[in-house]
Amino acid sequence: MAGAIGAAEDGFSKRLKAGRLPAAIAGASLDQAGLSHKDLARLFESQLASRALDLEARRLGAEKRGYYSIGSAGHEGNAAVAHIFRLTDPAFLHYRSGAFYIERAKKLPGQTPLWNMALSFVASSEDPISGGRHKVIGSKALFIPPQTSTIASHLPKAMGAAFSIPLAKTLRRHDGPLPRDSVPICSFGDASANHSTAQGAINAAAHTAFRGLPLPLVFVCEDNGIGISVRTPTGWIAQNFSQRPGLHYVYGDARDIVDAARAAREAETYARIRRRPVFLHLHTVRLMGHAGSDIESGYRDRAEINSEADDDPLLHTARYVCELTGASLQDVETLYADIKAQAGRVMEAACDRPKLTTAQSVCKPLSPPRSLRAPRPGRTVANAPDDARARREPQHMSRLISLTLAEQMARNGAIVAFGEDVGKKGGVYGATARLQQKFGPARVFDTILDEQSILGLGIGLAHNGFLPTPEIQFLAYVHNAEDQLRGEAASLSFFANGQYANPMVVRIAGLAYQKGFGGHFHNDNSVAVFRDIPGIILACPSSGAEAVKMLREAYRLAWTEQRVVVFLEPIALYGTKDLAEPGDGAMCAVFDDIKGGAAFGEPNIIGDGADLAIVTYGNGTYLSRRASRSLSAKGVKHRIIDLRWLAPLPVDAVIKAIGSRRNVLIVDECRKTGGPGEELIAAFVERELACSIRRIAGVDTFIPLGPAADMVLISEQNIVDAALELVSAGEREAAE
Amino acid sequence: MKKSAVVIFPGRGTYGKEELGYLRRYHGQRSSFIDGVDAWRKAQDRTPVRDLDDAASFAAGRHASSINASALIYACALADFAAIDRETYDICAICGNSLGWYLTLAGAGALPPKHAIRLVDTMGALMEEHGVGGQLIYPFVDEDWRQSPTHEKSVSEALHAGKTEGEAFLSIRLGGMAVLAGDEAGLSAMEKSLPPAEGRYPFRLARHAAFHTPLLSHVSKMAFETLPEKLFQSPGTTMIDGRGAIWTPGASNVTDLYQYTLGEQIVETYDFSKSIEVAIKEFSPDALILVGPGATLGAPIAQELIRHRWLGLASKQDFAARQKKDPFLLAMGREDQRTFVTSSLQ
Repeated sequence: MAGAIGAAEDGFSKRLKAGRLPAAIAGASLDQAGLSHKDLARLFESQLASRALDLEARRLGAEKRGYYSIGSAGHEGNAAVAHIFRLTDPAFLHYRSGAFYIERAKKLPGQTPLWNMALSFVASSEDPISGGRHKVIGSKALFIPPQTSTIASHLPKAMGAAFSIPLAKTLRRHDGPLPRDSVPICSFGDASANHSTAQGAINAAAHTAFRGLPLPLVFVCEDNGIGISVRTPTGWIAQNFSQRPGLHYVYGDARDIVDAARAAREAETYARIRRRPVFLHLHTVRLMGHAGSDIESGYRDRAEINSEADDDPLLHTARYVCELTGASLQDVETLYADIKAQAGRVMEAACDRPKLTTAQSVCKPLSPPRSLRAPRPGRTVANAPDDARARREPQHMSRLISLTLAEQMARNGAIVAFGEDVGKKGGVYGATARLQQKFGPARVFDTILDEQSILGLGIGLAHNGFLPTPEIQFLAYVHNAEDQLRGEAASLSFFANGQYANPMVVRIAGLAYQKGFGGHFHNDNSVAVFRDIPGIILACPSSGAEAVKMLREAYRLAWTEQRVVVFLEPIALYGTKDLAEPGDGAMCAVFDDIKGGAAFGEPNIIGDGADLAIVTYGNGTYLSRRASRSLSAKGVKHRIIDLRWLAPLPVDAVIKAIGSRRNVLIVDECRKTGGPGEELIAAFVERELACSIRRIAGVDTFIPLGPAADMVLISEQNIVDAALELVSAGEREAAE
Repeated sequence: MKKSAVVIFPGRGTYGKEELGYLRRYHGQRSSFIDGVDAWRKAQDRTPVRDLDDAASFAAGRHASSINASALIYACALADFAAIDRETYDICAICGNSLGWYLTLAGAGALPPKHAIRLVDTMGALMEEHGVGGQLIYPFVDEDWRQSPTHEKSVSEALHAGKTEGEAFLSIRLGGMAVLAGDEAGLSAMEKSLPPAEGRYPFRLARHAAFHTPLLSHVSKMAFETLPEKLFQSPGTTMIDGRGAIWTPGASNVTDLYQYTLGEQIVETYDFSKSIEVAIKEFSPDALILVGPGATLGAPIAQELIRHRWLGLASKQDFAARQKKDPFLLAMGREDQRTFVTSSLQ
């Protein structure tokens, strides 16, 4: 019966023994598919091995020795896709891709796909892709970046990888790992096609092709007609995707391996030669339920389950093998028995292999290994504008950021910058001004307005050796796409045991203080979304000069340490020139005078007053610096500790900077709940910091339009008042 | 229930003084197979293997020469292979080292016996006549068979030195041993570069050419001219080649097999270590059977097991203890282990 773990009756074997081979369902010939008899036999062996592993995974799951039971049963036709595409075509695969993986492994001598899959089922630390962290299908050598693929969040990066290939060709000196004629593949199910991520990625690919730009990519939709227990309406996938502008549609029946190969070849040829996206719609069936824990008979009737099992792709391939190679049913049974025995031995041996045993070993790849790749200088286009004068004169933050981007792009030709309005307009606040004129539209370009696609594009570009700098226009917009950072970019190194990483610098304009303009969506003051993503770095500068130094460090972190860096630029400070008095120009700086970077984990320390430490960041630093005059006038000796790095917080360095000061004021411009102030207080308490601590923070609300915005944000006066109260309370205590 | 086994065929240099009389000792009753070998040998005007095996004394110049050693080892190994008790062991895959690849083809049925001796003997003769350069061995591991970064670095530096002075290549990854090959200038430079180890390394292999290197491209070309593809057929048993690629009975393309055997296999590194890795991981057999003659390949196999911590083995002592208690590697060239493998009727 299908369904429960351990009750993995082998429907294929049963039907084979009874001689119940299904009638042909598609009319493709081996010639049409470009397959030889040996190819067919090879594909059959991959399919059988995948099924044998599925059954073994269920067995071990029932025995509590295996930890993953979503299998590939019914989807083994995807072996044909692996057969048709090249080893070097990057494959972003969904979790029913066991047969694909096994078949692709045959393209590279010395691979041990059964062993590798077995190690991943039992979560052994020797699993060569994830090191025992997850059951993912992946391999660096086989050009299969690992995916969990549960919510179709891998589609945007596949689109990005496809975009990177012609881009690498345009930028001739680029040295990414993907050959210039690669065609990325991306597989997913019919239910996943409904995810907004899937729709967004397909839309972005089609949009690109519609504009006449190259984007060689094959979306492989393995349509088994059901998403766990929910049916996909008949014809939904075909009608949805067969008429999309910019998207070429190919259909094949993957129950029939020959037809699957025919369709895959058609898709591959079209995408590789025309360099345009293809939607390869493959009909599959889902056998043995969604996963081991899924009792399929609870929502599907027996006849339907049996009917699908009668159309098992393995039975169809068995029919071909018998008809075309002269093998008997007994020969097929013997072959299957041998492969099952092999899978059984391999799984048993894998059970004895070591597992991860410490939190430290689990977390190791959150910081990927350092890259030794040397940057190649980036070229400027002919007649590029000269920034020399701008670099010698005082500039505000947004101009200093664009000068830093120019500096880094000249230093490293792998950097590309993109996002809505980034190109011609130079960014919504001018932070990418003149970059396109200087480096050309291949390295600085506009994208469609879809944050998932913007971040996915970045991830995909990183897979081909680029150092992407996507821009998200406003902090509130990132929430629409946060999983591209949380579930994809940041998790890749974890799932790949450091073999893959997504180095990038994501620039986001954000935070509040825009004098009543914009309301919530343009003043969002919550960074909680980034603070709990393992491995990610969140940077927030407090002035133009700081932005220059921190952005340089952000690029070092991304390039050398392969980290995902979110660079949060306070919108209110972009154009701020003065600090204390109109015309003082204290918030401006001369680019050429700013030397070096700001070390990761080192806060910016301003002043050395001994009474009070103000711990803050971003606009909070600006406001604290303004409050500084009043505090000094009232005799409060203080130091401002500008955090710079909001995730991970530089707690040790902050405590060191607080030193012997008895009073600590945390100025957190974000909402009180979820702001960095929470973790600071928790850390100070845990470390038993011997001082009085106060926090002022934004109110737990969305930011309203107009002057009411000031009612919910901390002000310069709030800082002065809180500091005086804190210090005087401390003095009273001392006096008592 | 039968035990699963991967069978491993030895390479050159495994028929030594101790092996003299091997065929007579163990395979007196396999006369038809040996007759077939000797019929071919006689037709080529070469010494019959039975005469070599029956010789009163071992003469390296005679027994270890390419022209004789290949056929002699072939006869012993395939006779041993036939002696494996199939009621006890189910052979799930076959592999071998260097010459052992030709024996693998024969054992797996990819070369019928009459073609197998033709290929083995022809390759032996081509190497004898046209082989150039030589080989030397040096360990990758320490005396306890654990990986030695120092030795690995020495090998890497030696290859660099060899390439600077002449031609130098990694010929075979042989478990814990590196088999290095080159022309005389390259070999001398490598010998000079490698620090002496264990009192015997670097050790030059007598009568060996620069097998598995581009220095033998001409031999590959001659082999293609001399040996037609039609000698080959689909194997009956799964094989693992010198890259770790798996050739199954159903899916093996004969043209690819022919091209690999006479092309890449001759001119590129033979990665015996990888073939053992694939054997243990991808087939997880109950036993490894090393057919004779000799058992010298046992050490490289054990070293590879240790490298992968297979069965929990982490050192030479672990391996020895395991072999004593419940041997995993069964060498037919050793009297004490041969009995585990052969039928009591043999």
